[in-house]
Amino acid sequence: MTTLLEVSGVSVTFDGFRAINNLSIQVAEPELRAVIGPNGAGKTTFMDIVTGKTRPDEGRVIWGEKNVSLLGMTESQIARAGIGRKFQKPTVFEAQTVRENLAMALKNKRGPFDVLFYRRSSRGGARIAELAEEIGLLNDLPRRAGELSHGQKQWLEIGMLLAQDPRLLLVDEPAAGMTPAEREHTTDILKRAAETRAVVVIEHDMEFIRRLGCKVTVLHEGSVLAEGSLDHVTQNQQVIDVYLGR
Amino acid sequence: MSKPEIAPRKRFLAENPSVLWFLGCLALFTLGVTVLSEGFGLAILSTSMVKILGMTLCLCLIAVAMDVVWGYCGILSLGHFAFFGLGGYAVGMWLMYARTEGIVISSLSGAPIPPTQGEIENAIATQIFGVVGSNELPWLWGFAHSLTLQLMMVVLVPGLLALVFGWLAFRSRVTGVYLSILTQAMTLALSLYLFQNDTGLRGNNGLSGLQNIPGLDHLPQSTLSLWFFWASALALGLGYLLFAWLVSGKFGSVIRAIRDNEARVRFLGYDVESYKLVIFTLTAVVSAIAGALYYPQAGIINPAEIAPIASIYLAVWVAIGGRGRLYGAVIGAAVVSLASSWFTGGGAPNINLGIYTINWTDWWLVLLGLGFVAVTLFFPRGIGGLFDMIVRKP
Repeated sequence: MTTLLEVSGVSVTFDGFRAINNLSIQVAEPELRAVIGPNGAGKTTFMDIVTGKTRPDEGRVIWGEKNVSLLGMTESQIARAGIGRKFQKPTVFEAQTVRENLAMALKNKRGPFDVLFYRRSSRGGARIAELAEEIGLLNDLPRRAGELSHGQKQWLEIGMLLAQDPRLLLVDEPAAGMTPAEREHTTDILKRAAETRAVVVIEHDMEFIRRLGCKVTVLHEGSVLAEGSLDHVTQNQQVIDVYLGR
Repeated sequence: MSKPEIAPRKRFLAENPSVLWFLGCLALFTLGVTVLSEGFGLAILSTSMVKILGMTLCLCLIAVAMDVVWGYCGILSLGHFAFFGLGGYAVGMWLMYARTEGIVISSLSGAPIPPTQGEIENAIATQIFGVVGSNELPWLWGFAHSLTLQLMMVVLVPGLLALVFGWLAFRSRVTGVYLSILTQAMTLALSLYLFQNDTGLRGNNGLSGLQNIPGLDHLPQSTLSLWFFWASALALGLGYLLFAWLVSGKFGSVIRAIRDNEARVRFLGYDVESYKLVIFTLTAVVSAIAGALYYPQAGIINPAEIAPIASIYLAVWVAIGGRGRLYGAVIGAAVVSLASSWFTGGGAPNINLGIYTINWTDWWLVLLGLGFVAVTLFFPRGIGGLFDMIVRKP
């Protein structure tokens, strides 16, 4: 296990509100990590910072064995470096088919001219079919993504994330709007992905996190409150105070 | 899922039957106009009508380009007519220079002493620029003697302008209405600049006499008009094919995704700005080619042609025709521009209401405005969207 992502001393202020306050988190590869915390703890902002959507006021975000800083990179460069993200609200391209959505996410060269002269290969097609199978959308490949149910859109976005073949997956509330059986399937996919990659999951559902069975980081008011196994952090008095109110 | 590989071209046309339909209709239309034209002999269509139809094809081509940049990629550019005009100016400079050169040489040939090169150039400059009070050829006209070089300028000047403008605008992530305003400012600035006499393009006089093609003086306009009509039809066909290929497949998928949610596309690892730049520049170049074919048929180009309103009309055509579908843009441009010349050219009979006479030259704009509102409210997919009702996709 080597450190893949190192966030250290990061702070962000939005209009005077300190969303992230001297946050430091390290993620190894491979690793499965759950990030929990009450509303406004800075979970999503943490992902925004790593993926380049939000620039921190101070601190460092270091990536990979070459210790590259992610702060000077654009969103698309960060994504190409190997960081994939699933949003809280499923954001798929609704006007396009499931196949097109997956094909766009598939790991390939991303330049305009590479894409223009890209030729569909049977290998790419097979990979899409394989992914569609995994997310249970094999029969829906020609359907428009907008026609899918909320849960299916979640699946599709997870499929797109896997198609990107990233080294680090940032997954924001993957199980929202899913049935218990679907949640179980999601845990399986995430656990399997975490065998070879780093996976960071934001979730509110404690049962879901228990099933992941991984190290948990508790955020509160923009910084780390506790870290460790789920049992360890749930016995932490500070965490109990934060969750139940002082 | 792994089907055997088929040649991409065959697959592209097989997957996009509307492209074949369009090309077939275009070929039939071209054939029909040719047979009915004055140049061919039947003379049912006058030469000026053939010119109007040829010009309409050029407008259809820029509308297709506009549909790609706006309807597919979501960049509401309100400045693409600037590129159209620049294409016209580039080819117009050669047309005017070469024709004036011919006239000057033949008029000086009677002189007892053969004229020197300098004298010929002076005479040409005086001929062209006398109207703006100058007798010197501006540096801008350095390539005007060469058709090849000026044809290169048709592509290079608008292409470079689009590249630099697009790079600056997209890199700063200017989007939406702000980008539209910026493109309006670009075409307005260019138009105002060209209105000045000392710009080197004859100010508000513009370039004229472009319908006379140097070296082809022996051919009547009825024949030349057909040649340009064919060239315009060919350009529209090729342009349509190029853009249809571009927006199909994965590239099309990415640019439509940029239109719908560009932030998400970035998180997939695509550099949104470079895609926009490619689309913006390519459509600008195609617009310029359309302009280079349009103005020899129109005969005159002046800075008023690239006034901001022209580019707004372009967006109206595409909206009425139905954006996001290439044939919709063609239908919109053809229907609206032909209707416009019919109504404003005195073709439509005035309606006498007793107390008030509806004069279509004045009321056409009102009609167009109402039409635009009606299409936006009742047919958001435009006229082209009506095809969806006939041909339901399985």
